[in-house]
Amino acid sequence: MVKKIKNLKEFSLSNDRFEGANLMCPGCAHNIIVREVLNATDDPIIVATATGCLEVCTAVYPKTSWDVSWLHIGFENAAVAAATISAAYEVMKKKGKLPPATQKMVDEGREPKIVAFAGDGGTYDIGFQSLSGAFERGHNFMYVCLDNEVYANTGGQRSSSTPIGASTTTSPAGSVSYGEKMMKKSMVEIMADHGAPYVAQVSPSKWKDLVKKVQKGFEVNGPVYINAQSACTTEWKHAPEDTIEVSDLGVDSCVWPLYEIINERDEHGIIYSTKLNITYRPKKKIPVEEYLAAQPRFRHLFKPENRHIIDLWQKAVDARWEYLQKREEAGV
Amino acid sequence: MAKKYELNEVEVWDGNMAAAHALRQADIDIVAAYPITPSTPIVQNYSKFLADGYVDGEFIMVESEHSAMSGCVAASAAGVRAATATSSQGFALMVEVLYQASGMRLPIVLTVVNRALAAPLNVNGDHSDMYLGRDAGWINLCSYNPQEAYDLTLMAFRIGEDLNVRLPVMVHQDGFICSHTAQNVRPLQDEEAREFVGEFKPVNSMLDVANPVTHGVQTEEDWHFEHKARQHNDLMNSMKTINEVFAEFKDRTGREYTPVYTYKMDDADVAIFALGTTVESARIAADQMRQKGIKAGVVSLRVLRPFPFKEVQEVLSNVKAVATLDRSAPGGTFGMLFNEISAALLAGGKKPVVLNYIYGLGGRDTTINMLKEVYEDLDKCAKAGEAVVPLQQFLGLRGPKLSFY
Amino acid sequence: MAKDLKEIKDIEEIKELGWDELLPGAALFSFREPVEDVAEIPMEERPYAPTNSHEWQVGDWRVEKPVYNRDYCIDCQFCWVFCPDMSILSRDKKMIGVVYEHCKGCGICVEVCPTNPKSLLMFPEHMDNQEALAMWPKKEEKK
Repeated sequence: MVKKIKNLKEFSLSNDRFEGANLMCPGCAHNIIVREVLNATDDPIIVATATGCLEVCTAVYPKTSWDVSWLHIGFENAAVAAATISAAYEVMKKKGKLPPATQKMVDEGREPKIVAFAGDGGTYDIGFQSLSGAFERGHNFMYVCLDNEVYANTGGQRSSSTPIGASTTTSPAGSVSYGEKMMKKSMVEIMADHGAPYVAQVSPSKWKDLVKKVQKGFEVNGPVYINAQSACTTEWKHAPEDTIEVSDLGVDSCVWPLYEIINERDEHGIIYSTKLNITYRPKKKIPVEEYLAAQPRFRHLFKPENRHIIDLWQKAVDARWEYLQKREEAGV
Repeated sequence: MAKKYELNEVEVWDGNMAAAHALRQADIDIVAAYPITPSTPIVQNYSKFLADGYVDGEFIMVESEHSAMSGCVAASAAGVRAATATSSQGFALMVEVLYQASGMRLPIVLTVVNRALAAPLNVNGDHSDMYLGRDAGWINLCSYNPQEAYDLTLMAFRIGEDLNVRLPVMVHQDGFICSHTAQNVRPLQDEEAREFVGEFKPVNSMLDVANPVTHGVQTEEDWHFEHKARQHNDLMNSMKTINEVFAEFKDRTGREYTPVYTYKMDDADVAIFALGTTVESARIAADQMRQKGIKAGVVSLRVLRPFPFKEVQEVLSNVKAVATLDRSAPGGTFGMLFNEISAALLAGGKKPVVLNYIYGLGGRDTTINMLKEVYEDLDKCAKAGEAVVPLQQFLGLRGPKLSFY
Repeated sequence: MAKDLKEIKDIEEIKELGWDELLPGAALFSFREPVEDVAEIPMEERPYAPTNSHEWQVGDWRVEKPVYNRDYCIDCQFCWVFCPDMSILSRDKKMIGVVYEHCKGCGICVEVCPTNPKSLLMFPEHMDNQEALAMWPKKEEKK
């Protein structure tokens, strides 16, 4: 059942199912994303979480910060966990053996939503096989990547989501290095190419865009991938109060474009149309430099010998923004 | 509702088919599996049962064994019955999740068709995978032939799902010698088997939206120890339930299972202690030795974990020499059986000669004659009252004799 | 026998549990009793289990705390939506205050507050809220 959320005041009527006194860092964007995702529906939710910040900080015995059923198995298997919970739900529904309270919800048209949360390490890297498998099989669940572009939980090592020039503990900037050498992996397109009915990129600072996309995702049948920008005060090294501002800088510089890819499928699952929609256009596209300057993980790029990386960044972001606009225009 | 599968009183099944039928009859809600030799036919047979309408549950062909066991953990935590099958490298890939299954106390059933571990790559039977998983906190049941693979797989659900146990259970059978060798099997009819296994009883089901539950927490130095102690305690005490289920199964079928299997041990001076199909060969060797006047017997474990410590002590209390046969490369020490049997004997105040034979690696055939040689060694030691052959020998190996100590 | 963690009233009592009193598998519960529709029940009315972190506190992480001034608030809910710690109490579309037990003092609520002067400001943890309100800044002139 789609929850009516016309505006922020209406959204604020939500009763959170994620609890305080968890152990996440002050100002962590993960929490904001989790809240926005869970509050996007009033239907029952079941969550699987990969090993990572969210997992180690919200279920430390003897405390849980979850008011919904929650499962953690390992680092690399959040996708198969959520996918199999979804399958287990379908089997029990078919057999008529759902617990009474759950059956009542289903009868009211409020089917449980199965959501996986994982960081970029658990998604782009170690969990990629499980994620790819679960999407290929087409289970009905939503996978949300909390993308802070680094292994934050283990002390800030690079992942394949770490963008070029970022200084991390395994790609540190030094006298002969500008930090991370690789461009970030294009996860959204990769997941869309699995044929998933709905794939989107979001930022917690644009809450309405995020909630709308999550609601769309809950409505489609099949696996949904949401790539969420998650500013990390600890590893991006900005002040905790600046989480929303840094997020906005990412969005307004088009470093983190907000868009969705819809694979429309017929009743046999055959894709007959793929559409890419840009869902947010900055009124004034700000230079990438402003986004980089707000985060000390990029501080060394402002040395004269590294300025060329900032130029490269701007080129890459412009090219990507151009690419997305072309795809949108062409309706593919 | 799944169709009833018409079964004869006696079917000719290999171990894989026997295990697959047991899984079918157990009315599993989620099977998440990935094929690997020699357990592949279990997965294939189960798929065919599903395709022909004999299975109600869901069969998920995942992309790896890691995901197969992860799927089973998720399904079990969701409150449904889950099972899978694997071997060797696939088993090795599952290991991380095996510990999670037992730590989260999820009664998953895993049929393991035992196979060697690479390198060098080998598809044939030995017990390397069984040994790899022996500390994973699962109940381990061992079979010697397709009938037992069938029986123990059915019983595994009852044992693991018992509310006093709630632990995952592995059922082992030897790759190829058991899994691919067709033999007579007397199955239960579908309704009998279903009745025996019973309905799955969910505990802390994630699907119950009125009772949100958190599974898979983190415990650090202030809690981990207590949780692992609780788990160990419950695994040790599961022997009671195992014996009850064995007894009930005997009442229904007449087939008797005990935690320690013995053959002609009442008056045995010398004994071979082995696992798997070798037990059947050892029985023949023992009979032939007895014709020569050597009082030979055979001992094996039906239940590898929890280890039947007292029963082992008792069974071996009067032997003069025992050979422990380990079908897994011991990696720089004695084989697991040697260590565990020696410890049990020593703790019981008994000091028979204990020998260790490493044999059958990578599917190397173990003949009756080889086993007779083992009995000859034992007989020599028994008569001398001490070890007069090396303590660890490799059996059936080409090249110069390899032995230690 | 394992104690039912739902039955334990006192958080301190949990810390003393021996191995024999633990629920197998280390499962934790959110609530003491069945809650049919959590999304419909505001936090203050939920039967939280002592194992729910809601019952615990992280307020001592703060060096500075946000103080809320009703006089300037327009109930826009920016602070509510961007609070990472469910620490902005908002009911019936109205901002009520800060949940100090759960607020870690990140300061996002202050940063996103659009009023002039702000309706939320950071003050030293030890300062009394009344004192903080008394020294609230005046409206800033637009330059």
